[in-house]
Amino acid sequence: MRRTPTVPERLDSAIEQLLGGLTPSIAAATGGFDAPGRSLLETADRVRVGLPLPPVAPRFEARLGARLASAASGDPVAWALRHPGRLIVTGAVGSAVGVGVTAYAVWRSTRRSSTGRFLHR
Amino acid sequence: MSAVARPRRLEGGPDPDLVDVRAAQVDRAAFAVLYRRYLDRVYGYCFYLLGDHHDAEDVTERTFLAALAAIDRFRDQGAGFRSWLFRIAHNQVANALRSRGRRRTSPLESVAEPMASTDTADEIGRADEARRVRRALGKVSEDRRQVLVLRFVDGLSSQEIGAVLDRSPGAIRVLQHRALREMREILAAD
Repeated sequence: MRRTPTVPERLDSAIEQLLGGLTPSIAAATGGFDAPGRSLLETADRVRVGLPLPPVAPRFEARLGARLASAASGDPVAWALRHPGRLIVTGAVGSAVGVGVTAYAVWRSTRRSSTGRFLHR
Repeated sequence: MSAVARPRRLEGGPDPDLVDVRAAQVDRAAFAVLYRRYLDRVYGYCFYLLGDHHDAEDVTERTFLAALAAIDRFRDQGAGFRSWLFRIAHNQVANALRSRGRRRTSPLESVAEPMASTDTADEIGRADEARRVRRALGKVSEDRRQVLVLRFVDGLSSQEIGAVLDRSPGAIRVLQHRALREMREILAAD
């Protein structure tokens, strides 16, 4: 069975419509509000209009943007400490590549020396 | 001022910020997109709760630096990035109010008008109305003021506000109802 929405729930839906661009009277009519409910939506609209976003000072915006960019470029040690998993994987891959290169070099030099011995015979 | 569009989250839908958050988790320079998108909203929240432009700048700065430092730890658990960011701002505002040992630097109505100019009679009328609303906002309790600012200045849903203030969406709707009733009474008596 469907529950009847409470007044705060209906008001919340009507406010959502108000914030979406409907006028208080249409939002109130859609939500089935009586006169006291309508006056609450009118108050909500006054609050919406009366509290505009204050302008951010351009100097502050630029300064903080530069500070964040500098923090984002960050130092690599701090990054590594924040990502220990990635550090371990990077280390393991690096070691594997190192071992592979060394093994190949040893194999090549062994092969060369045995070839040289064969030619000197 | 930022002109970057702020995506709106549909009820139960995916977080529209998630792609940019993932990008910032891989390359922290990509955090700039989120910064530009939310700077004015976070600043507005701080301004209306602290009642002072300098304090609002200080707390906005702390909020974004803390968010950048913690962006790797963000996980989408339903509430979304917006709620996560405003929760950081909420904690920073609470710290600022606690550390300075007062509820507000100056009464909201005495703060410089946020509107651009007051050239025409119409604009003067709007500025007067804004002053009345700010004065009324300064008289309601802090939890009600939080709900009004997050809802009407920042456009958060009751679910998102619940995540910011650590309350259920139902409790937020009740708070919002009471806050508007109180605002109506204060504005009527003004």
